[in-house]
Amino acid sequence: MQEKVFEHLSSVFYPERVAVIGATDSPDRVGFNVFQSILEGGFTGRVYPVHPRHESILGQPVYKSIGEVPGPVDLAVICLNQHATVQAVESCGRLGVKGVLCHAGGYREMGDEGRELEMRLIATAQKYAMVLVGPNSLGLINNEGNFYSTFYPLQIPKGSVSLISQSGGMGLTIIHKALDEGMGINKFIGVGNCSTVGFADYLEYLGEDSGTSVIAVFMEGTADARRFALAAEKVAAKKPVVLLKAGRSPVSDYFTVTHTGSAAGSYRLYRDIFSQFGVYMADSAHDLVAACKGLSLLAPARSNRIGILTHTAGPSIVMADQLSEKGCVIPPLQESTISRVKEIIGEDPPVVLKNPLDAAGLGFARETFGWLAGAMLEDPGIDLLVAVYCLHKNWGLPSREIIEAQRQYGKPVVACYASHWEGCRDDRNILQNAGIPLYTTPEDACAAVAALVHHSKRGGRIRP
Amino acid sequence: MSINIIMEGARSEGRQVLTEDESKQILALAGIPSTPCRVVESPGEAARAAGEMGFPVALKVRSTIITHKSDVGGVYLNLDCPEQVSRAFNDMREKVRGLDPGAGATVQPMAPPGVEVIIGMTTDSHFGPVMAFGLGGAAVEVLGDLSFRMAPITTADALEMIHSIKGIALLKGYRGRPGADLTGLADMLAKVSQLVTSYPGIREIDLNPVIAHPGGSLAADARIVISEYRSQTLR
Repeated sequence: MQEKVFEHLSSVFYPERVAVIGATDSPDRVGFNVFQSILEGGFTGRVYPVHPRHESILGQPVYKSIGEVPGPVDLAVICLNQHATVQAVESCGRLGVKGVLCHAGGYREMGDEGRELEMRLIATAQKYAMVLVGPNSLGLINNEGNFYSTFYPLQIPKGSVSLISQSGGMGLTIIHKALDEGMGINKFIGVGNCSTVGFADYLEYLGEDSGTSVIAVFMEGTADARRFALAAEKVAAKKPVVLLKAGRSPVSDYFTVTHTGSAAGSYRLYRDIFSQFGVYMADSAHDLVAACKGLSLLAPARSNRIGILTHTAGPSIVMADQLSEKGCVIPPLQESTISRVKEIIGEDPPVVLKNPLDAAGLGFARETFGWLAGAMLEDPGIDLLVAVYCLHKNWGLPSREIIEAQRQYGKPVVACYASHWEGCRDDRNILQNAGIPLYTTPEDACAAVAALVHHSKRGGRIRP
Repeated sequence: MSINIIMEGARSEGRQVLTEDESKQILALAGIPSTPCRVVESPGEAARAAGEMGFPVALKVRSTIITHKSDVGGVYLNLDCPEQVSRAFNDMREKVRGLDPGAGATVQPMAPPGVEVIIGMTTDSHFGPVMAFGLGGAAVEVLGDLSFRMAPITTADALEMIHSIKGIALLKGYRGRPGADLTGLADMLAKVSQLVTSYPGIREIDLNPVIAHPGGSLAADARIVISEYRSQTLR
């Protein structure tokens, strides 16, 4: 990545002085919501609302123009319509503003006239060597410095997953799902039309960003896909990249030479090629969040051999199905493990001693469940354990026991409780603080396992 | 003859779609195996060429106008004797008279039987040169059983690509049938990738079918499409 783009993106993600051009006092307007979001988000820098007619907004003095704002501005957030935005970018350029974030839509997505306007926007930004985020962007968030510059005011726990999204709506879907899952976010960027800064630039930036350990991407499509794939290869060698691609119906055929009609849609190209370069391809927003949560909490797995401990067979069968499809192995238990299990639940227990290990009624007691988890983790043929338990009115969840077993053997553990979040939110926090992701469905647990195995296998692999 | 000279020759005639014999000459120069392909202009010449090659042979229309040979019924397979060859030539001339009165033919030996696969390369607007691999026939036409990779690819990528199609079991051999030489097939994919990387003027390659045998693979048909102008570099 060019040194300059990196430096410019740093001033966009970590600004010290931010101007909100078009800030207003009406909660109906984007300009109000962005300003409120930055102000109430706890931004550690200075924020200056700019509007020609207002005196004060939310108790803050308003500047009549960007020229009146004291001192150099790192980032101007422009909350004006598409035409006025172009003028504002010009003013910012003249004043030496480093970067602009343009929320307005109405550009290339609106046909020829919009495209022409966007070309003017790009030319203006380039004339002053300014970095331009968007246009047509939901905005950006940097939880390091509490910088919340989106027109949907949010508060998200800080974590190490950063999200690049082409769609505001899908960005919000993923953020809210992350809140449900107890997954913290480090940075969010709504890339919008990617006029001057593309997916590959943001990816490379987050690849270098110390606060980001996992990168999630929602993509509709990009003409820059080749550059993105090459950038992803380098980034995925350092940290996991998980991507959800929309547009699966084969609208356009890329492989027409064989007269194969709809044999090949663009989704297949994206899926195969991004996988080729180490990206983990998620199937849904749900899958994306489950995978990112797991990757952000778990240490890499040594290999793909998975142990499953349960007291009810069904979820383990669902998992075995899904995991084998995703290249994982459910190996048989070793003799030493079977002996250990017999020591715990009796010499001749009324259960089959195999992997997945279904301890049935013998696994209800928390202590026993924890000991069994330990026995499976001790098995040298198992690299990662999934522990399945069902929420019960009178029996406690075995979270502390699972944590203890994980600490003793050091291998990654994924917990899966058949429960709703209200029934296990405290346990979720306890487990996740201890580096054990908790899921409430076997499918989500599998997404985490599959992503971890993918990354452990592909991570660090750079082709010659 | 060099690859650039073959491409320039077609460009000088205003063509972007190379004929099968031109395409196979390029393959040969790139070390990619294909069935030999002789250009003939008359029924007698066709029969003589067939006799020299050994039966059975295939006869295909050769025209710079007709670029999809089988669409016009211009492909005759498994011809067993000189009479069949000359009859096929005349029959073909009759069929394509309205499209290209000057059409000739190529005669080529039939590839020994094996599993039909497709090796392709196309220039995608988002990814640039992309490799495709799949089983031939209904598997690709009905099921779309293809895998894709961005070029250039390594032999290891190619092997992964081959193993990621659903029909891999057919290539590995089944019910006592011997499997195809997958390493050789992967090598062929990697060579096509090298070819398009070295010659960005190549926009599409369609080797359909490639016949995969236990002892190696070869392209029984080939179609190469080049850019209109000489210098087209990778984005």
